Formats: sequence, C-alpha cells, structure tokens
Amino acid sequence: MAALGWQVSAWHRLIPLTWSLIARQTAQLGEQKRTTALLLRKLTTVSSGGDLGESPFVEPQKCAQEPEHRTGLTQCLLEKQRTAVERGKIVSSLLDMGFSDVHVNELLSIQPGTHPQQLLDIISELILLGLNPEPVCVAFKRSPQLLKLPIMQMKKRSSYLRKLGLGEGKLKRVLYCCPEVFTMRQRDIEIIVGVLKEKCLFTVKQVTEILHRCPCVLREDPGELEYKFQYAYFRMGINHVDVVKTDFLQYSMTKTKERHVFLERLGRYQTPDKKGQTLVPNPLLKDILRVSEAEFLAKTACSSAEEFEVFKKLLAREEEESEGRMADDESLEEEEEEPEEGEEREP
Amino acid sequence: MAALVGKGVRDMLKRADFMTVPRRQRHKKKWAATEPKFPATRLALQNFDMTYGVQFGDLWPSIRVSLLSEQKYGALVNNFAAWDRVSAELEQLSARDFVNEAIFHGEPEPENGQTAAPPPASWACSPNLRCFTFARGDVSRFPPARLGSLGVMDYYLMDAASLLPVLALGLQPGDTVLDLCAAPGGKTLALLQTGCCRNLAANDLSTSRAGRLQKVLHSYVPQDVRDRNRVRVTSWDGRKWGELEGDIYDRVLVDVPCTTDRHSLHEEENNIFQRSRKKERQMLPVLQVQLLAAGLLATKPGGHVVYSTCSLSHLQNEYVVQGTIELLANQYGVKVHVEDLTHFRKLFMDTFSFFPSCQVGELVIPNLMANFGPMYFCKMCRMT
Repeated sequence: MAALGWQVSAWHRLIPLTWSLIARQTAQLGEQKRTTALLLRKLTTVSSGGDLGESPFVEPQKCAQEPEHRTGLTQCLLEKQRTAVERGKIVSSLLDMGFSDVHVNELLSIQPGTHPQQLLDIISELILLGLNPEPVCVAFKRSPQLLKLPIMQMKKRSSYLRKLGLGEGKLKRVLYCCPEVFTMRQRDIEIIVGVLKEKCLFTVKQVTEILHRCPCVLREDPGELEYKFQYAYFRMGINHVDVVKTDFLQYSMTKTKERHVFLERLGRYQTPDKKGQTLVPNPLLKDILRVSEAEFLAKTACSSAEEFEVFKKLLAREEEESEGRMADDESLEEEEEEPEEGEEREP
Repeated sequence: MAALVGKGVRDMLKRADFMTVPRRQRHKKKWAATEPKFPATRLALQNFDMTYGVQFGDLWPSIRVSLLSEQKYGALVNNFAAWDRVSAELEQLSARDFVNEAIFHGEPEPENGQTAAPPPASWACSPNLRCFTFARGDVSRFPPARLGSLGVMDYYLMDAASLLPVLALGLQPGDTVLDLCAAPGGKTLALLQTGCCRNLAANDLSTSRAGRLQKVLHSYVPQDVRDRNRVRVTSWDGRKWGELEGDIYDRVLVDVPCTTDRHSLHEEENNIFQRSRKKERQMLPVLQVQLLAAGLLATKPGGHVVYSTCSLSHLQNEYVVQGTIELLANQYGVKVHVEDLTHFRKLFMDTFSFFPSCQVGELVIPNLMANFGPMYFCKMCRMT
C-alpha cells in the first residue's frame, strides 16, 4: 500500500504537460504503439467529438488558414490545449495508478460528458478503498451513473464503508453485486446493518462478512431480511456462524422454503431440539441450497422432478392462504386486546 | 435470545410442528391457557415415522410428504340431480370421470401362457358411479357443491379413493345392502347412486355422526328415492349385527373406525393419538375384527363383504382380515374366501398409486402426483 500512497501523493504535484512530454512518455511506454497513437488522437479530440486524422496538428493548421477568425480561433486553440492538457494529466494519473491503456480508454469513453477531474476523483476514491484497476473498470462499465456522484458524497460513503469493514479489496464483490452501495441512501444501509446487528444479533465482524459475501442483502426489505434470519435460526436450527458461512441470506425465501419444507415433509430434515440434536443428521446446507435443483432432487431429497413441481404449487398456495389467515388473526387480535400468557412482546 | 422473540417469531414457532393448522381447527384458544407443547398431530407423525418407516421403507418419504400436503378430491356426481349437465360442467374444468375411463378403456390382458378365464360376475364394478378428478399433477380444486334445480346438491366432494371399496363391492340390481359404519356418509351415498339397492341399512354407533349421515342423504337424495330404496338409518352397536340380522344381506360394506391417518396429522380436535385415547387406539384392531365378523355374519352365504379403512397400518388392515377369517372358521364354522382384486387394481392404476405388496386386499397410497388415500380395501365372499 505504501507504493500506492506515494503514487497518490505524487500525482498531486504533477506539472502541466506539453505535447512533447506526452510524446516522450508514450514513447517510453512503447508496447502497444497503436493504442498510444489512439491515445494521442483522443487527447487532441475536442469534447464535442470529431476525428483529426493522422496528424495531431491538422486542425491548428486549418485554423491558421482563415485570418479573419484568428483571435477567436487562437482562443479556441488555447481552450483545446487546456482541455487536452487536463486530460493528459488525468491519463497520466490513471496510468500511474496502475490502469492499462485499454482501461484508460474505456474509462474515458464511458461518459464523455464527465469532467476529467470528476472522473479522476471518483476513481481515486475507489482505488483508496482498495479496489484494483480491473474491477474499477468493470464497476463503471456496469454502472456509469457512479461517475456522476458528487465527490463529497463519494468520500462520505467511502468512509462509512471503511467503518463497516468494507475496505481493502472486500468492496470488489459488493460493488459487483450491488453497485447501488454508493448511490443508495445512507439511511437505508444503516437500517440493514441495524437489522443484522440489533435484531439478528450478529457480531460486527459477522456483519462485515455478510455484507461482503451477500451484498444483495442491502437491496432487501428489512422486515423480510429479519424473517429470513428467523427462519434459519428457529425453523431450521442454523446458528449465526453457519448462517454466515453458508451465505444463507443470499438465497430467496421462496427457494429456501420450497427446498427446506420439502425435505422436512419427506422426513429428511428435522428442526434440532433444544439441545441441538436430531434423530438423523440433517443434510448439509450446501447440499440443500447451493446445489442445482437436479442435484438437490437426486442427491438430497431423493425424489422426482414431477413430485417437486407439484409440491411447489401446493406450497405456494398454502403460503398464500396462510398469509390471508394471519392477516385475519391480527385484525381479530387487535379487537380482543387480551395479552396471552407466557409470551414476551417487543418493547 | 429474548430479544428475538416477537410476534413474527411466535407464529413461526407455532408452525415448527411442521404444518399449518387451520385456525378453526386449532385447540380452543380461549379455554386453553397455552398451546399444547406436544400436540396429538405431532404424536401421530412420530408414530407413523416409527411404524411406516419400517413397513414401507424407501416408499415412506413420498407417502409422508403427500400426507402432510393438501389432499386431492373427487367429485361424485349426484345421479338424482341433472347429472349429464353436471358432468359436462366438470369436464369444462378439465376434470375427467376416472370410473368411466377405467371401465371402458381398461382392457384386461390375458397373461402369457395362461388361458384367460372369463371374469366371474362378481368382478363387475358397481354400476352408475360417476366421479370426476383432475389429471395427475394437476392441483386444481373443485368449486364447492351447489344446490341444483331439483332441490338436491349437484356433486359430493370426497377422497376419490373412497369410491374404490364401493366399486369393488360390485352391487347388482335388487341387492340388499348393509353399510355397517356408515357415517359421515360418502360411501353410503355412493351405494345409493348405483341404483341397485332394494334395501339399504346404514348404521353408525355415534348418534351425532348418524345425524350427519341423515343430513347428507337429505341433501343429495330425494325423498321418493329414499323411500323406494328403503333406506334405514340406525345408530346401534355394529358388533351385534350377527345376532340382530344374521345371514340376510347380499352386499355388506364394513368401513371401520381406524386411526384415520391423514386426518390425524392435521386435526387436533378429538385426535385418536391424544395420550388420553392411547388405550382406545391400541384396542382398535380388536374392535375392527369384531365389526368385520359381525358384517360377515350378517351376510347371506354366497354374499360379498368389503372391508375398508383409511389407514396404512398392517395391523388394522391385513391382520384384521386374516384374523377375522380365522375367527369365523374356528368359532363359527363359517368359511370365508378372499377375492383377488388384481384385475380391479389394474383398471384404476392410472388414477391411483397402489402399494404393490399387500398380502390380501389392495392399498391406495398417497403420492404427490395422485394425492388420494390412504385407502385399504379387501373383498371377501362368504362361502358357508
């Protein structure tokens, strides 16, 4: 990380580049002459587009041919040079950060309207969070809207994510599965973290692990996330450590219920008793949830596809009807207003 | 984990006994202070896991999941209503009459190397029975039965497998018929639908259940038909029939009280697996033998009896049949012959899932593709 730190502080002190300096640098890189030529062409392209052809100096010459617009054109030329210089600075910084020429091209072309400094700032934040150049490119390609984020929000969110333990490379997976982690409201992330910590009673380390491995939980409705955990803990008898280890929270509730209830009714899965024991050992969670349906049926359930199809339909109907009944129960309970004995209520 | 207990969790723990119990059938919340920690439905399931796990081996899981899931129904068309219109309506729903399909499309195949014996008259199924079911794997439900223009209901929803004992009994026009344990009345109704009964005696020990039977007959069968069939409903002790009405009947149906396996897994009220009813449950096979014996004694020589239960248990099925035949031979000198129902089973193999290894009789086992049963039935002929 020290080298990167040096590089980061180094690009703050870069001197403005001239054409010759760029030419020298690109000559030094040397490898892909074609891409460097392309790069040069990009640098001289005005932001509104337009290709200049072989020579980078064609346009200025063209400008020189019309004497009546010379003052305006000079300004225009200076403007273009300034933009080009800025872009040159950005490119150099990116190359220093470890991006390849190909990457730089991609990044610059994702949202051509983005101010180069904005681009650099956003990218820098991600690099500081420990993301490598390749994943950064992938992230921006999939979610170009990230480039539009105000840099202050980006910094604030980065610091929050670091607090959650999501720096140092853990961010890659999160960003891949859930690019909204930078654009969504901080409150919404806090709510999810709150469910995991206060309602489900995961440790801080476990919460980090969950966010890292199952970033999709950030997208879930908090109530449903809590229900999912309760299903694992009470209904299936899975403890906190195993919920984290098996990535239980990433699977949909429907799929989990279908497979679990099927096994339960077949007699192949039993909720452990108070001592955590079952009559027969339960199948491993990976053999229930991680495997394909075909393998699940063949290896774990030992049943046929057609029976499972019918079962899924029956279960869906049961769930629908039970939800209707619980809604009735709740409205009736409100009318009765008698607390039941031996029950605790949440404050 | 005190912090984790809340309303949602309470509901989930309620359901940790593996099934959703319909609210109207849960124990009475207002009278019981807390829910039973070990409900009878759970005791039933434990009992079944122990006995049927052994009895059925690899077949047990698929039976178990079917028993715990919603059962499939058949719609027995009421011949005393506008049955052709009702049949057409049911076909519109994509259901089909499995009886019709079995009898007219099931061809008996002569075995290789054996001369095909002409099927004896007793092999013929009871006539005029129309019962619609949805196709294998189709989980559609029938709409509830409605009152037709003739003042009676259009169809009766029942487990389609319950029709098989009545079909197997093979009623013929002019038969005197006894239904020894008739309530709640599905099979009794089916007997009347055949149009074969010169007399029908329907009995159930419980007066309240006999009352339900009366209601069913009133809702489905017009008064004049009930009069014509000389339908008589009683609530006497079925075990006494040998003395009361010995040697009289052409056809007798003995659909005995049993552990009602499917029902016992879902209904808590009056569940026979309650600890308070343990003795009663253990004495069931004795009661069943007594009832079957009475039914056989009430049959005229040459007449036929079908014994049926809705349990999977060997002890309530084959053991009872074999035990009763022995009892009748030894104590009464009455010879009873068990009829082979293999041909009959083949007719209905496409609709129902049959257990392949019954010593005597046939057993419909629940399967998710055809979630009917359990239904055990065995046909006997009284020889002397």
